[in-house]
Amino acid sequence: MTPEQTQADLLPGFLAISSVLTGFSEHALRGTGQTELYLATACEMVGDDSMRMMLGAFSACDIGDDTEAMGRHMRLCILSHARFGPLARNLIKLWYIGTWHCMPRDWHEAFGGNPADRDHIPSPTSYTEGLLWPAIGANPPGAKPFGYGMWANPPRVTRA
Amino acid sequence: MSLHRITDLAGLHRHLHAAMQLEHATIPPYLTALYSIMPGTNTEAFDIIRAVAVEEMLHLTLVGNLLNAVGGTPDLTVHGFVASYPAMLPDGEEDFAVDCQRFSPEAISTFLRIERPADLDHGEKGGRTITRKKARGTVKAGHVGPETEEHFFSIGEFYKAIEDGLDRLHADMGEALFCGNPASQIGPEYYYSGGGGLIAVTDLASAKAALDLIAEQGEGVTDTIFDEDGEIAHYYRFQQLLLGRYYRAGDARDKPTGGPVPVDWKAVYPIKTNARLDDFTKGSDLREAALEFNSTYAIFLARLTCAFQGAPEEFIPAVGDMFHIKELFHRLMRQSIRGTEGLNGAPTFEIDRLKDDPE
Repeated sequence: MTPEQTQADLLPGFLAISSVLTGFSEHALRGTGQTELYLATACEMVGDDSMRMMLGAFSACDIGDDTEAMGRHMRLCILSHARFGPLARNLIKLWYIGTWHCMPRDWHEAFGGNPADRDHIPSPTSYTEGLLWPAIGANPPGAKPFGYGMWANPPRVTRA
Repeated sequence: MSLHRITDLAGLHRHLHAAMQLEHATIPPYLTALYSIMPGTNTEAFDIIRAVAVEEMLHLTLVGNLLNAVGGTPDLTVHGFVASYPAMLPDGEEDFAVDCQRFSPEAISTFLRIERPADLDHGEKGGRTITRKKARGTVKAGHVGPETEEHFFSIGEFYKAIEDGLDRLHADMGEALFCGNPASQIGPEYYYSGGGGLIAVTDLASAKAALDLIAEQGEGVTDTIFDEDGEIAHYYRFQQLLLGRYYRAGDARDKPTGGPVPVDWKAVYPIKTNARLDDFTKGSDLREAALEFNSTYAIFLARLTCAFQGAPEEFIPAVGDMFHIKELFHRLMRQSIRGTEGLNGAPTFEIDRLKDDPE
């Protein structure tokens, strides 16, 4: 499979885990326009195999709508896991602030991935589309302007 | 008596209402194409469409000022004000329909027809206006009269009929024609970030200045590419996107010789053309988002109406609404429609449906 095919295949799982990790609906995540880019970024830095294994572990139990069970599952099988935990935390940061942080050195030593992994911002829209802004009910400073004189009014933030 | 002449004040009001509908009818298609461009790509095309869309908003406001000046009451909330797409334009051009579609050569070709100069293909049409019975069910974007209608080949000719009517009524009534409350005029301080400026209409001279600005910015009634201030008419601005080259001063029509206009037709969200609420599964997030868009748009039109009906300061939050609407556009256009082969959602602009068929 080409990288594009691999990623298209991983996309539904990536959206599902991202929704649980961030607390935003899949609809809201798609609405940022960053989904494919973030999946590609993460896969490029940690390798497709780590991503595929984490998504496999995530969907291993059929939890349905039980949020408490999902919380337990995430803590036990993903966030406490030596390989998946740092990746999951990186995804939370990526969605919220629009920056990919270099994975810890010992993670790369243990699990491989891209030797060129580095801190970076995947695209100029990653900052403006960060979940941080709707989470705190503010417009991203310096972006998404609301027009002359509107600073005097409360921010109007799209939250799906 | 000719049916297409404006002979009384009520006729002038009707025409100006239709002109507001007409100006508005261009905005959903322009914005749909504009916001379907993926952010950061097609920056020059984005700027061209954005500038034209903002000027259509200026024209809408200028017509609102005109209607207020002659004692009419602008109302953007009346049933049928927002066109149902695909739409025929309210000035009766019926040789083409306007779609809300993604940025594409087809979209730009439609925009060229909207902005076409009055004399283009004139021989083919054989006259300035054609008057005929309305074919039922074909004209969805609003009409000038109930039974027999005027049909204009271009928007420029429609405005020429309004100007003629204004002259006739002014000859009869004198300055009494301008009986509206001057405090209702939306002044230049409320318009920014676009070409031209707002004109408060209080007499014949300012009324004509407003009409001239609309005509000049649009298709250019004098059929020149640039106006006297060096601003390029909408028709030629759009044509640059299809021809892939900028116009320069001194260029002949259809033969721009300036630098290239880079266009990437693929860097676009694959939205459904003329999307409808019924394209989105009931209860889905996409449908909810489309409904939220429509109700936000309805609130925006109500706010504009309020601004036109004596509270010009409402224009500031109304402009704020437009920025918010941009966010809602993007959110919809990034969602795929279940059950389609790779088509994404888009605003449906079914504003009347909010009242007729609330969910």
